[in-house]
Amino acid sequence: MKLLSARTGLLITLILLFVLGLAAFAMQYFDSAPAWVEHPSNRHFYTDGKLSNLGTIYDRGGKALLQMSDGGIKYNEDPAIRTALMHVTGDRDGNVETSISSVFKSDLMGWNWLNGAYRFNSEQPTGGTDLTLTLDAGLCAAAYRELRGRRGAVGVYNYQTGELICMTSSPSFDPVFPPDLTGESGDYEGVYLNRLFSAAYTPGSVFKLVTTAAALEQLPDIDKRRFRCNGEMEVEGNMVTCPAAHGELTLGEALAHSCNTSFARIALELGAEKLQEYAERVGFNSAQKVDGIHTIPGRVELAHAGKAGLAWAGIGQFTNTANPLNFMSLVGAIGNRGLAVAPNIVARRGFLPAASAGAKKRLLSENTAEALAKMMRNNTIAVYGESNFKGLELCAKSGTAEVGEGKKPHSWFAGFLDRSDYPLAFVVIIEGGGSGSGSAAAVASAVLHRAVK
Amino acid sequence: MDLFLDRLSEPLDALMTILAGLGINLETLTTQSEMIGRFYTLAIRWLLPLMAAVILLRCLLTLLGEKREKTPWGYLQLPSGLRISITRWENLIGRGRFADIVINVPTLSRSHAVLTHRHDAWLLRDLGSKGGSEVNGTKVEGEAAIDYGDTISLAGLEMTLFPAGIDSPQQRHEYDPDAFVSAERTANHTTLALILLFQFLGAIQIYLARGAAAPALPLIFLSFFLLESLHYVIIRRYSRRNLVPELIGYFLCGLNLLIVASSSPGTLLKQLAAILIGMIAYTVIIAVARDLDRAHSLRYLFIVAGLLMMILNLALGKSHFGARNWIDLGFISFQPMEFVKIAFVLAGTATLDRLLTTRNMTAFVGFSGASIITLALINDLGTALIFFGAFVMISFMHSGNIRTLFLFLSGAAFGGLAVVIFKPHIAARFALWGKAWQFANSSGYQQTRTMIAAASGGLLGVGGGRGYLVSVAAADTDLVFGMLCEEWGLLLALVAILMIVFLAFYAVVLTRGCRSSFYAIAACGAATIFILQMALNVLGSVDLLPFTGVTIPFISNGGSSMIASWGLLALIKAAE
Ligand SMILES: [Zn+2]
Repeated sequence: MKLLSARTGLLITLILLFVLGLAAFAMQYFDSAPAWVEHPSNRHFYTDGKLSNLGTIYDRGGKALLQMSDGGIKYNEDPAIRTALMHVTGDRDGNVETSISSVFKSDLMGWNWLNGAYRFNSEQPTGGTDLTLTLDAGLCAAAYRELRGRRGAVGVYNYQTGELICMTSSPSFDPVFPPDLTGESGDYEGVYLNRLFSAAYTPGSVFKLVTTAAALEQLPDIDKRRFRCNGEMEVEGNMVTCPAAHGELTLGEALAHSCNTSFARIALELGAEKLQEYAERVGFNSAQKVDGIHTIPGRVELAHAGKAGLAWAGIGQFTNTANPLNFMSLVGAIGNRGLAVAPNIVARRGFLPAASAGAKKRLLSENTAEALAKMMRNNTIAVYGESNFKGLELCAKSGTAEVGEGKKPHSWFAGFLDRSDYPLAFVVIIEGGGSGSGSAAAVASAVLHRAVK
Repeated sequence: MDLFLDRLSEPLDALMTILAGLGINLETLTTQSEMIGRFYTLAIRWLLPLMAAVILLRCLLTLLGEKREKTPWGYLQLPSGLRISITRWENLIGRGRFADIVINVPTLSRSHAVLTHRHDAWLLRDLGSKGGSEVNGTKVEGEAAIDYGDTISLAGLEMTLFPAGIDSPQQRHEYDPDAFVSAERTANHTTLALILLFQFLGAIQIYLARGAAAPALPLIFLSFFLLESLHYVIIRRYSRRNLVPELIGYFLCGLNLLIVASSSPGTLLKQLAAILIGMIAYTVIIAVARDLDRAHSLRYLFIVAGLLMMILNLALGKSHFGARNWIDLGFISFQPMEFVKIAFVLAGTATLDRLLTTRNMTAFVGFSGASIITLALINDLGTALIFFGAFVMISFMHSGNIRTLFLFLSGAAFGGLAVVIFKPHIAARFALWGKAWQFANSSGYQQTRTMIAAASGGLLGVGGGRGYLVSVAAADTDLVFGMLCEEWGLLLALVAILMIVFLAFYAVVLTRGCRSSFYAIAACGAATIFILQMALNVLGSVDLLPFTGVTIPFISNGGSSMIASWGLLALIKAAE
């Protein structure tokens, strides 16, 4: 009999295999259940393939952005708000993959993990779960207006709580009156892309913040050093140039004047490995999630860069790319003493506060963040002009990212307000916008002044 | 008075607002009974999964807390004065690791001889050992009878067989109710009470949701409660150990009725009849199989009946969802291959001495071949897979040979290849495996609807009788897992599945203290069929395995399946 007991091992194996199969099902369930319920054949939510009920998406002030009524989708009555927030509400055909109505479709339909499709009165479509966003619709519309049709994105968020209060991406269109998107002009190319979440651009000089952070922690006495700039510097036959010879500079001055030769020198001194390490620490090469919405990661790859490549990388001009949202979290972390608070966009689901608000992660040491913040404040005072940002206590860095011969450079402006009443961080990117301290900074100024009103 | 009402209206409005926030809109309810129904569902969907979990836990604890008594049937007295107690009906003697009576003397073979208690007498069978065996000085050729006081010599090592004292095995053969620990009884009573309460609450839910469609529902459930209670009382008198297998059977039958009440209330009475027949069959098999000799004759009866069923199916089989596995005799229709499962497991049983000597499996291989060919002819691929799996399991119990196991599995691979070549429609089904969502409205229809339903139920379900999967073909049989998830919630569905897993595990535990290898093999064979059915049903309906259309034991709608499930459960229970 002991003999047979030993041979039951095969049966035990079979039982375990089945339990593993059940576990596989459970994993699939917790991965895909929201997608499963969204299928149009689901009679809990659809009648004849049409959604029979849907919750409403509100902005932080209670403005209805999208609403389901009588089987049709109803948008906000203001065309400016509709256009500025098209990437948030999604268009009628669900083409914007990162939109709230796509990502939170199952919630809006009234489904949740615990209750499934259960409704107290199942025959009566009483509406799904309402979502209240952290966004300020008016501010988003203003930001879109400030972009004046140029391609790009604007993001503003509270670096202490993670609430995303402003977000817009251009080009966009009014979802109620969609234009002919396939037109010859190419004006609407990539129109479904939310450029704040799903694009990555050459960063140009804003990347010098990463190089500076690495230098502050890795190069001893860097703050007492002086750099000499005579306008150009040769690295293995490659010329790194500045617009003019900057002369003798401290690290802070080099950052303020965005001196290329100084930062090329710092990058070479740091070495590829250290610069790579810091870039990854502050969020490059990894995608972020904003309440479950995936973002595209920025890329830094220095393993085979060579010396010239490393020098260019240090000033944000190598093969590096940066995702605007990700970069905004980085400057937010500098404003928040090195602690990055994950951006979030859903404030409330139904009458419950959203669970994911404000996951914290330390990106930089407090000392490094403080030193960077001081330099960024100095940038404003010394270069961008305090009068343009009156009362904002602005700490910022501009970037003018060269994207190739004959093309206008991308214009970047990113930073934060050193104000306890308005702890806001922001990013502005304008494709082909020219000088960062010019066009992007002007948009930032207008949006931020409105935000603190 | 008006003033009072005015005062009240404000907090009432506030309450309505809060309720509306919770999705409760009272104004839309037309009748009072509907109102009661809605509130009932609201509460019950929390309570039932909890109760199910408690029931499962209690079953587990009963098994863990059980004290296994090992009263010896007799003793072997060695010249050194050492007394070895004999605790089983079949004992392998030798110096091998897996011998039941290990005697570490180098002259003994690893598997030297088998000492069996049968026909109220002891038998010694030499397993072709090197040193040979003698009884009272006479060499044992094959088998020899032994009386108490006889001297056995194994390779020269002498020992004497003694009875176990006043409690002779013959007396112990009969069940002594007082030996049944009373604490365990109370535990079983409480579990039964919980199960009855669970089923009562579930039945009310279904009645409130679907009452109009099933006016006979209360009567059917009431009869069911009486039936299971009566069965419990009867079986308790004959059970040696706890009543966990029966309790799980009752619980699952209750779920079955709740499913049927939702999907096709008109067949409730038929299903209740099937449960009744199943319970009777269970009781009869247990009573007969208690005695090993009668169990052996039962085996032949079942094998002959099984062969008849197969011939009947081949001759009269009617097609149903692609498989020709139904027989309609006018007054009754059933699925013969369900009953063949029991015959199949019994055909695979053998006793330990046979296992170790002749290794003659011709009859079993023949029966298996016949069953699988029949299933192939009637196009029932899922059941064929189950039979094959059970065949591999039972063969392994016989031989213990890993090499043979691989041989079978590679044989299966070739068989699979043959199926792909000769049965293209089955091959096509395999090709679609894992791609259900790509063909959501055609070949993946049933799987995707199951997943949609499962997800729509959430953890707690939308309430019994309030699902939509019922409108899909085979919802209460092949897709029953989806129905359970949708109406009663993922938690309850998983608990139900784990109950059957637990039954299989129980079979493993039972083999350790089993009296005869006959019961051990039967229990493991039945458990294998249970697990394979569940694997193909649950994982098949959610596209993790190819969808083959088999039932979940007990839970799926269907009379034949229900009776067969009770029969297989009896084979597990008989191993006690
Ligand atoms: Zn310079």
